Amino acid sequence: MAVSRRVITTAAALCFATAAVFAQNPAPRTGPRTVNAPPKPTGTTPRAADGHPDLTGVWNGLGDNLNGVPNQIANNGIAIESETVARDLHSGQMVTVFPRLNNRPQNNEQAERAAALLRRSGSNRPIYKPEYWDMVKYNDHNANEEDPSNNCMPAGVPRGAIPSYIAQFPNHVMFVYPGQGGLIATQTMYRMIPTDGRKHTPLQELDGTYTGESIAHWDGDTLVVDSWGFNANTWFDQIGGYMHGENMHVIERFRRDGNTLTWTATVEDPDYLLEPWTTTPRVALLNPRPDAMLPESQPCSERDLAHIVTKEHH
Amino acid sequence: MTSAIRATFVCALVGICAVTPALAQGTPERAKVLRAAADALGMGRWSDIGGANTRLPGIDIVNTMELQGSGTSDMGGRQVKTEFHIALGYNPVAARIELTRTPDGGAAQHVIQTVRDTYAWNESEVGAGLVSGKGVATPAMAAVRERLLRVWMLPYGVVKAAYAAGDKTVVSTEAGATVITVPLSGQLAGITLKATLDAKNLISKVEARADNPALANLACTVEYSNYADHAEVLTDVQTPGRIVAKEGGRTVLDMTVKTWETNNPYLVFPVPPNVKAAPASTTSR
Repeated sequence: MAVSRRVITTAAALCFATAAVFAQNPAPRTGPRTVNAPPKPTGTTPRAADGHPDLTGVWNGLGDNLNGVPNQIANNGIAIESETVARDLHSGQMVTVFPRLNNRPQNNEQAERAAALLRRSGSNRPIYKPEYWDMVKYNDHNANEEDPSNNCMPAGVPRGAIPSYIAQFPNHVMFVYPGQGGLIATQTMYRMIPTDGRKHTPLQELDGTYTGESIAHWDGDTLVVDSWGFNANTWFDQIGGYMHGENMHVIERFRRDGNTLTWTATVEDPDYLLEPWTTTPRVALLNPRPDAMLPESQPCSERDLAHIVTKEHH
Repeated sequence: MTSAIRATFVCALVGICAVTPALAQGTPERAKVLRAAADALGMGRWSDIGGANTRLPGIDIVNTMELQGSGTSDMGGRQVKTEFHIALGYNPVAARIELTRTPDGGAAQHVIQTVRDTYAWNESEVGAGLVSGKGVATPAMAAVRERLLRVWMLPYGVVKAAYAAGDKTVVSTEAGATVITVPLSGQLAGITLKATLDAKNLISKVEARADNPALANLACTVEYSNYADHAEVLTDVQTPGRIVAKEGGRTVLDMTVKTWETNNPYLVFPVPPNVKAAPASTTSR
């Protein structure tokens, strides 16, 4: 257990360090955040020369990516709308809120166990074919060993969710997902996605990769990114043990409203899923600083997994 | 038969959660007791991630659970050796109860009883009826109330129902013990739960009373003891180590828990198409 605590402490420290670097953050705030409901958009939506919304920017503001830590709960579908009201975003079911009785921080063990529960309490779960139910449960139960993104491997799609940086050009968009050296040890990932109207390569001609082959088009003001050609070495969320096959097809939708970017992904996998699954929408805030930059990713060198002695995990 | 299991778990009501939980905090005493019960079970958790920049309140983190145990259950008026494997959830309200009963000198009998919201069905195998050619799902709509009640009679169900019922939840003291009385609603309207707390604020007994004579067959009592974290992945959620259910004073179930996973494991309860198409309450349970 002592080793496990060290792992947790180290991971948490690295995560917070990363978050701090990213925290050239927008939203002027007085006092700590007490809600995690998706932020409301403000400002106008800039447009590119072709008239489409311009998604270019650093999207790390209290958002959805791994550094948007307050939203880790919302990412899994529970929005704390006030200090007395919380709601499951998928089912609409109200969730009882328990005011905090003191300011004592939790110890590492308490915080880790709480996080594991909080991140899994939402109702929006992919429905696998029954023959895979036990395997998915096993994966999550044993995620310390089974999570393919551990050991500094790419998170893949759709697990990467909202990129921390988007550059939009006339014929393509560029997505950058900084790797995590801490809590979730994954590799830096980028995607160059054409918007020039080209079609997919036939699936059988593609070698499966972590981010697959993506093409994008505009559906009104929404950028639709259509991807296939994956390998089976990723899970499609940070929690849950949600494995998939090489026939996975992912459709992501990005919509900018003012200073917010809303993302959803629909996963189709006829080999594993009983029906397509759509993520709960996630919302990131634009970093408003004109000099906002992405810092260097934390180097990822997994040294802790071998020392973990329990099945507890984030 | 199902009378045995009826007593096992907790109760349900569709629409109960449409009531804002904050309403339950109208009376300070009630709020204090409910909070103590929730805290004793480990139901309310918060995230410290974000350090000083974040101070999110706690939320109810109990959704899906899976437990396994062994003991006895009622079978035609006799207590027979039984292995239990139960998956349940509160969002949506659902349960899948697998029983393997072995009567003295008889062959083992395996049944899977499932419920979700307004649907109840029996499965020939887990997930039956969802994929063509994979098992048979037999509608059992008449059993909806009884199966939902099992879910709401669990300690977590009582606390959830008590918060959701708001001002209708009554806190009192009986024989020196704190008692929470909760009228259920929705499909279980007419059923009242009465939960007794022990000295550690853990729920030690839950009685289901039928205010409506038509539901009298649902009346039962379940006793919970030997609380601990019985999970392999520790969460600090306290779960009973022994469950004893009685009807009319007669024990119909006695289970010793082996494991009780509380980390919201992947448990799903999709309703098979033929069950969705079945008319309500047309088949026996």
